[in-house]
Amino acid sequence: MQGVTQRASSSDRFVPGVEIAPGLFFTEATMDWGCPSPMIDTAFARWQEPVAYDRLLHFDTETTGLAGGTGTRAWMIGAADWLTDGRFRVRQLTTTTMGAETAMLRTFAQWLEPDTVLVSYNGKSYDSPLLKTRYRMARLPDPLSGLGHLDLLHPVRRHWKGVWENCRLATAERELLGVVREDDLPGSEAPAAWLSYLRGGSAVNLRRVLVHNNQDLKSLAGVLLHLARLNYS
Amino acid sequence: MNALPDRYASDALVLRDPSDGGTLAQRLTKRYAARITGAFVVPGREGSFAPLPDDLPPALAQALRSRGIDQLYSHQAEAWAATQSGAHVAIVTPTASGKSLCYTLPVITAAMTQHAKALYLFPTKALAQDQVAELLELNQAGDLGVKAFTFDGDTPGDARQAIRLHGDIVVSNPDMLHQAILPHHTKWAQFFENLRYVVIDEVHTYRGVFGSHVANVIRRLKRVCAFYGVTPQFILCSATIGNPKEHAEALIENAVTAITESGAPTGDKHVLLWNPPVVNPDLGLRASARSQTNRIARLAIKSGMKTLVFAQSRTMVEVLTKYLKDVFDSDPRKPARIRAYRGGYLPKERRAAEREMRAGTIDGIVSTSALELGVDIGSLDVVVLNGYPGSVAATWQRFGRAGRRQQAALGVLVASSDPLDQYLVRHPEFFQGAPPEHARIQSDQPLILLDHIRCAAFELPFIGDEMFGTEVATPWLDVLGEEGVLHREGERWEWIADSYPAIAVSLRSVADGNFVVVDRTNGRQTIIAEVDYTAAPVTLYEGAIHMIQSVPYQVERLDWEGRKAYVTRTHVDYYTDAIDYTKLKVLDCFDTSNAGCGQAHHGEVHVVRRVPGYKKIRFYSHENIGFGQVNLPDQELHTTAVWWQLEQVVLDAAFEDRHQALDGFLGAAYALHIVATVAVMAEARDLQKSVGSGDGAWFVSADVTGRGQIRGTDGQPTALTPDAPFTPTVYLYDAFPGGIGQSEPLFNRREDLVAQSVTLIERCDCRGGCPGCVGPVLAADEEAATTPKALALRVLALLVAL
Repeated sequence: MQGVTQRASSSDRFVPGVEIAPGLFFTEATMDWGCPSPMIDTAFARWQEPVAYDRLLHFDTETTGLAGGTGTRAWMIGAADWLTDGRFRVRQLTTTTMGAETAMLRTFAQWLEPDTVLVSYNGKSYDSPLLKTRYRMARLPDPLSGLGHLDLLHPVRRHWKGVWENCRLATAERELLGVVREDDLPGSEAPAAWLSYLRGGSAVNLRRVLVHNNQDLKSLAGVLLHLARLNYS
Repeated sequence: MNALPDRYASDALVLRDPSDGGTLAQRLTKRYAARITGAFVVPGREGSFAPLPDDLPPALAQALRSRGIDQLYSHQAEAWAATQSGAHVAIVTPTASGKSLCYTLPVITAAMTQHAKALYLFPTKALAQDQVAELLELNQAGDLGVKAFTFDGDTPGDARQAIRLHGDIVVSNPDMLHQAILPHHTKWAQFFENLRYVVIDEVHTYRGVFGSHVANVIRRLKRVCAFYGVTPQFILCSATIGNPKEHAEALIENAVTAITESGAPTGDKHVLLWNPPVVNPDLGLRASARSQTNRIARLAIKSGMKTLVFAQSRTMVEVLTKYLKDVFDSDPRKPARIRAYRGGYLPKERRAAEREMRAGTIDGIVSTSALELGVDIGSLDVVVLNGYPGSVAATWQRFGRAGRRQQAALGVLVASSDPLDQYLVRHPEFFQGAPPEHARIQSDQPLILLDHIRCAAFELPFIGDEMFGTEVATPWLDVLGEEGVLHREGERWEWIADSYPAIAVSLRSVADGNFVVVDRTNGRQTIIAEVDYTAAPVTLYEGAIHMIQSVPYQVERLDWEGRKAYVTRTHVDYYTDAIDYTKLKVLDCFDTSNAGCGQAHHGEVHVVRRVPGYKKIRFYSHENIGFGQVNLPDQELHTTAVWWQLEQVVLDAAFEDRHQALDGFLGAAYALHIVATVAVMAEARDLQKSVGSGDGAWFVSADVTGRGQIRGTDGQPTALTPDAPFTPTVYLYDAFPGGIGQSEPLFNRREDLVAQSVTLIERCDCRGGCPGCVGPVLAADEEAATTPKALALRVLALLVAL
């Protein structure tokens, strides 16, 4: 960690959404995305029972890094689900201060029901433990433990490892959904985007992370539906 | 390397009748009077007992009885009472006095009655495994339902989760706490929420740089505990040191109740200090310690006594084991009577060795320091130390391995040719009179403190004017903020960097990273040693002969940036000695006092070390057979020092010329360094010496001929004009950036140090000087009218308090 803290003030500090608590911005959008059947077949994850589509909550966090331990935090959480009318809803919580983390964690906890089934990509190893640590650090109850969790990375690996160049979400969405991203900010640059904003820098890259996160959530849902339609008999 | 038949060890010395260490001590003293420089007896004592406390859970009391424990030693009962009153406790009793029961009882009781958890910290993995084995046996004996696990680098990932959730007693080490537990404390939340006891055993090993790190890890532990709303009770155990209570309190920064009277019974202990006979009086060469150790051990075993030999290196363990096996295990059909014990064996092998020793089927064990700490091996009669272990406290701890309840035991310290060893055996009063060394730490050493505040900030944000240890953390947080790893928002300092700071902080080594030594002999690529940063420039320069357990390797390439030295096995009859120029500049003088005709000071200095070359020195004859160039960057260090100086007028009157005075200063520095190393329980490399001008204008080093050579600030040889100011100064400085707190105690003992240095030189058997007193001297100087020894004494005499 070298160099001096940048304090360059930028004029572009616009963060989309409604400030629902000091430093916490909320966005919500609904769209047509995927066409889930009422019951989603989860045999791909070796689950016995199918899951009603409206119990699913796709989620993905953007963090300050990969170092792990108590010093890594999530600065935004994106979550997406299908509403009862079949429309796809994407909600994002973005913090613009460190202090807004607690409000973000509380809000996200309200989105979870006891019968919610989480959907993620590598979330069992990464996003979920990280959030549990953050709930503990904020002295809040952990709402994630006990929930069902479909981590799509593992079934994707079982199917396509050695077939594709790798099993990252970007590869899966290209191969399975034909999604090609334009002007995408790689996830690895998300920590720097937030840090720079936090230190008074421009919000341009922060907004690009939101777009990236939005696409991740849509791809997650798309890959899920693809896996569910595979024949596992 | 066959053990030659020993014509001196006549079997007449072997004791035919059942006897004890006292009888053997007598025989040895009679036969080898000239080699024994000190002999004394530490009287034994009766045991002092107390009943099992009434408030022990009945199942635990039953488990103890079923393991043959019907009563406690008084110190165990005291420890029980103190822990039950809620006090932090430090227990300081000898080896094998049943220390672990002092913490086992309160910990198991709390686990059984309140589901309370305990964290044990041991300095080594082996001790941790022993402790868990012992706990499991006790648990099984009473079906107590208490779960104990080790948690260290070898613990598999899938077991870790279970240990975090279900362990009642987690047995680990400070390094794991620092790097794995505290930075992931949220995963340990249930453990911390119920944490009632923190047990830290062998706290005497936590001193110096290592101890200062550990004290800061404890600060972080307490900070994390506070987050979970608990204030655990600390139980610390130590071998005998001079300041157990003070040291325990320095480590945990709380008042402790110290329990220092052991109730365990012991027999008399006879101690002999043994100096191998001089075989070459001209060169001051003595017979090897190895041959003497072998002889003493053989006699003891032949006399039917269970004997433990401590050697300083793994190789020496193997050599001595072979020598003893050649005598006692020549018949392969019979079970072995001699065993080696050292690190590098598999735990299973070590367990087997311990079992056999407890069962008494083994007659002789040869060990490294691995057996110095509390591994249970049963009772022994004789302990032989092949070389001084480096401190009086460690010597007593090793001697403590011998001792039965009723019978007299014997401990023999066999001195090697090392200057420290030679100093010690010539000062038997050191063992009789002097108290064991003080363990010292300096928790607020700036570099160490900054490292741990960094780690602490990663673990939990700092809020407001939060204290870390004894200081408000804010100025340090500002530093970390500027570095970009912390972000300040209002009152809170939060970790922001994508890094895991604990990984970059090693508790056991000094700054800037260790060098690895890579053996490339015959195309191999094996790491055979590690050398710490400060020692690297004087031991790993290209061309150096680097000895590893007395096997010579030559350094072919030094990758300074990559911290690697590439060596190959070699066969040469010389070793290399770095020419090490140190230049000091006084930055700030904290304190000054008169010292004889001169002055002693204590303060802050700037040190520049340069290694421009090295000498090749032939083994045994010590003649100088060559010189090599070295190209290494200068080492700069800002640290603390103690120094003595004499005025020009005083020197002009006492010496014929300035050169003579400088030679005297070099010898005096050598002797002071030996004495000071002993005085502060320092590792020799943590304390360094230098001779130079008081104003930093020049410094002195022994040149190729062994004579003092003045060098200017550029390191080039120079000469002083007759009218130039002349204030030679001898410095002893902390070889750790920022200092590690050795110079103040040295300043406080300045008169003692000078007086002891005089005694050291006066009592040395050599004529003109040797590595045991003023440093190696040339043969020519041996015959000189004024020897280096006499010159050093002249300097010291001028510094002796009036």
